[in-house]
Amino acid sequence: MTTNKIKDRKQKAKVKQQNIIDALKDHGAKVYGDLDNGQFPKFSIPSRSVSNIVYDKKLRQYILGNSAAVRSSRNSSQLRSFTQLMWLAFFANRLTQEKKSSTLRDVYYSSQAFAIEFEDQSESDNIIVDLEAVLSKPREDFHIFPEERSSIFGDLNIEYTIPGYEGKKMNLSNHPDGYAIGPSLTTAELLDTSAEIVIAIEKGGLFTRFVEEQVDKKFKSIIINTGGQAPRSTRTLLKRLHDELGLPVIILTDGDVYGEHIAMVIKSGSANAAHLRELTVPDAKWVGVWATDIEKFKLPTIPMTESDIKRCYDLQNDPRYQEGIWKKELDVFLKIKRKAELEAFSKYGLTNITDKYLPQKLELAKSL
Amino acid sequence: MSSIKEKFNQISPSEFFYRNRDLAGFSNPTRSLYTAVREFVENSLDACDQKGIFPDVHLSIKAVDPDAPDPKPYILTVKDNGPGIESKHVPLAFGTVLYGSKFGLKQARGMFGLGATMAILYGQITTNKPVYVKSSTDGKIQDEFELLLDIQKNKPVILKHNTKEVTKRGLSVSICLEGDYAKAGSKIKDYVYETSLITPYATITFDDPKGEKFHYSKIVNEMPPAPTIIRPHAHGIDVETIRRMMVESQFEIPNIDDMMIEKVRKDLGLAKKNLTFTGIMDKAAKRWKTLSRPVRVVISLMSFLEMDFDKLSKVRIDDIDVPNKKLYYWDFGDSQAKTIDLDSDNPYYKQLTGTVQGETLTAFLTKRFQRIGPSTAVKFAEFAGFKPEKRMGSLTNEELVKLSDSLQKFEDFLSPDPSCLAPLGEEPLEKGIRKFFKPDFCAVVQRPASAYSGFPFVVEMGIAYGGEIRPGGPHVYRYANRIPLLYDEGSDVVLKVVHDTDWARYKVKGEPPFVLVTHICSTRIPYKTVGKENVADRPEIERELRLGLQFLSRKLAAYMSKRGQAEMAKKRANLYAKYLPLISTFCTELSGKTKEPNYKKLLEEEITVDDK
Repeated sequence: MTTNKIKDRKQKAKVKQQNIIDALKDHGAKVYGDLDNGQFPKFSIPSRSVSNIVYDKKLRQYILGNSAAVRSSRNSSQLRSFTQLMWLAFFANRLTQEKKSSTLRDVYYSSQAFAIEFEDQSESDNIIVDLEAVLSKPREDFHIFPEERSSIFGDLNIEYTIPGYEGKKMNLSNHPDGYAIGPSLTTAELLDTSAEIVIAIEKGGLFTRFVEEQVDKKFKSIIINTGGQAPRSTRTLLKRLHDELGLPVIILTDGDVYGEHIAMVIKSGSANAAHLRELTVPDAKWVGVWATDIEKFKLPTIPMTESDIKRCYDLQNDPRYQEGIWKKELDVFLKIKRKAELEAFSKYGLTNITDKYLPQKLELAKSL
Repeated sequence: MSSIKEKFNQISPSEFFYRNRDLAGFSNPTRSLYTAVREFVENSLDACDQKGIFPDVHLSIKAVDPDAPDPKPYILTVKDNGPGIESKHVPLAFGTVLYGSKFGLKQARGMFGLGATMAILYGQITTNKPVYVKSSTDGKIQDEFELLLDIQKNKPVILKHNTKEVTKRGLSVSICLEGDYAKAGSKIKDYVYETSLITPYATITFDDPKGEKFHYSKIVNEMPPAPTIIRPHAHGIDVETIRRMMVESQFEIPNIDDMMIEKVRKDLGLAKKNLTFTGIMDKAAKRWKTLSRPVRVVISLMSFLEMDFDKLSKVRIDDIDVPNKKLYYWDFGDSQAKTIDLDSDNPYYKQLTGTVQGETLTAFLTKRFQRIGPSTAVKFAEFAGFKPEKRMGSLTNEELVKLSDSLQKFEDFLSPDPSCLAPLGEEPLEKGIRKFFKPDFCAVVQRPASAYSGFPFVVEMGIAYGGEIRPGGPHVYRYANRIPLLYDEGSDVVLKVVHDTDWARYKVKGEPPFVLVTHICSTRIPYKTVGKENVADRPEIERELRLGLQFLSRKLAAYMSKRGQAEMAKKRANLYAKYLPLISTFCTELSGKTKEPNYKKLLEEEITVDDK
């Protein structure tokens, strides 16, 4: 990494930050102008209803269609949520300006300081998604972060940008428990790395095993624990690792339909986030555990539950599961109606997964 | 055998009522106290109504021993400013059962004035105390009686009678009876309250045993027109009633005895003169117009018999067979039955047959029923398939049934004459409702008169919403002939109609503050029980109630939607006032301005727009 490139990226980050602030200001100014002219202000919010969510094959993710809903302050049934949205924009502006971070729950409580009522957190969560849709930016961009439960380990140098830590550098292989992927890490500068691949793994237990077995060194990799369904900050970081450092991403999940979908969400996002386009890693590869691996590696299995089977049928209707390994593995799951967890490899010794399975899959990934 | 017969004979009306007092509402101390109050108050109101006097009724109930537990003896006194009762009628009116002045087809609260006597009877049975009656018909002299009722003989026993000079007219009745005010109190208060609502031209005062005073002054200064006695309406009258009316419409052949002959002679001016048959006939023809009906009939008979007075006194008329045109009589002189043919060319033929066969159908209809004129009667005859001049007396049983059916089915009769009814009228009803409930909205309607089984009735209704009305409605106030109906709500036709209504359709939801007043006026209210608390669901009455309720409900719905709009506008204005300042604050900081935008303009504009 040259200093130039780093500077360039720093510049980009600043611009991004400024874009958000400008966008918020624009909306504020428009509302201000309307009020001053005796007009009822309104927002146009892209519709997130099921009928407006379409799959874009080129982008390889779900996106929103063209329909949008107008939320007007004139309409008495929308006035409340209009005010809530206005408040959130105001609050997001403060967060971004002051480089403070917040969470969904935090936002819910913060509202009460401004005489803004939310029935419950799900109402405030909805307004946050509304603002994402209005700005077409993920909430992390305006400093609202998920709860931290995922972590990262590997030879990666970063430089913090959050207030109080600006310029402080860190190597992410210094602490064997890994580093929590929170706001400071998501917004940090990614300086350089010796790794050649990112391995995202569904479970904390396996993450610890991988660190112990020095997978980072043996396979020149950065290991990320997604903690089940990958939080959006983790997906953002995965995308940045791929886009900014040019690292390929592979995903290891449990051998069941939920694992398969965890991989799919990292790769192409979810319908819930169809209004956002910066959360996907379309080149990411799911390498296991596949349904076909169960037979191949003679893994101990447990039977699928009713809800597992129902989930299989649901996913069969998803356009992303119509071809390739996605379709093939789904069909096999439905056929064998059994599933295997990552820990199943322990039947053949604790290091079986890192010694035998992982190398095979890494080799295979190159051809996927 | 003879002893059983004796028992039957010895039951007087008083005893009969005594034994069946449950039927009249005197089943227990609670109910009895309430019924007694009702009977006396209603008698007072009826008396005032009939004379066009604004009633001023004073009701008081006092415990004989205030500290004793209920049930216990109470002294019930009802005093009015009515016409009073003439001294000579007082003992009979208050000391016998079945003595009343309220007979006839017109609307009154009670039918025969029986209830008051029942109350007196009940009081006497339970406390063995006399009834005190004070009556003044002229406002100068007052007769004061102390009476007991001899139940077995159905006769009054006057214990004391004296007179006194007074300044006010009116009647005061005081009885001592066993009652349970602890239980009956709330009903009696309801009764007084509801009575004053439907009698807004009356002043009613009630002193209760606990020393509480309830006073309801009159609200309106017009009396509703007093009801008049009238003929029945044709619609829905039954065969039996027609048969009874027909008996009245046919005339008996006068009994030709010496007295009758004497009268005929006198009327012809022939008291002391003996004329021949033709002479008598000539004289009769000259005087025909002045002759009474029975005399004309005798003359007609003589014209066929061709007899003078002397011969006439020796015969007995046995039968007049009109269809076969025969006259049968017994001749005492010859001692044998004789028959003569009736010649229809005889000018007296019609007079005679008319007498025997009664009126023509059209005359019967126009004279015996209300609201039927000659042309309607002819139209009806055609409809029913009778000749208009058909004699009532010649109808066979089958024809009678056909006539009765047709009377019900014929649709061109005018609706019954409501002049025998005394509805309160829309204006007094509305005034009463407004004064009593202080609602935001009130509407009243008086339906056109209708009839069931020949009895005319009028339904009037009022609806009130909001204001000081308590929620949990509809609260239904039922009245019949200005009497509030408080018991046995469940089985009443009014409640049935109210419950059948889908109030949500009229924008009335939840537990609305909502009052409904219904008043059924009729010459006879079809009560389900003798207790007179619930009205039977006659289809004709149900229909009128339904139509009235629909009319009022539509008015209410219109009001509710206006009210809804106004509430909406107010709500919106409140919302704007709450949220616009917040939006203003947020966008000011967001847009980096220091001064807030002028959003107040928007608030004012919005409010004025919505007020329109």
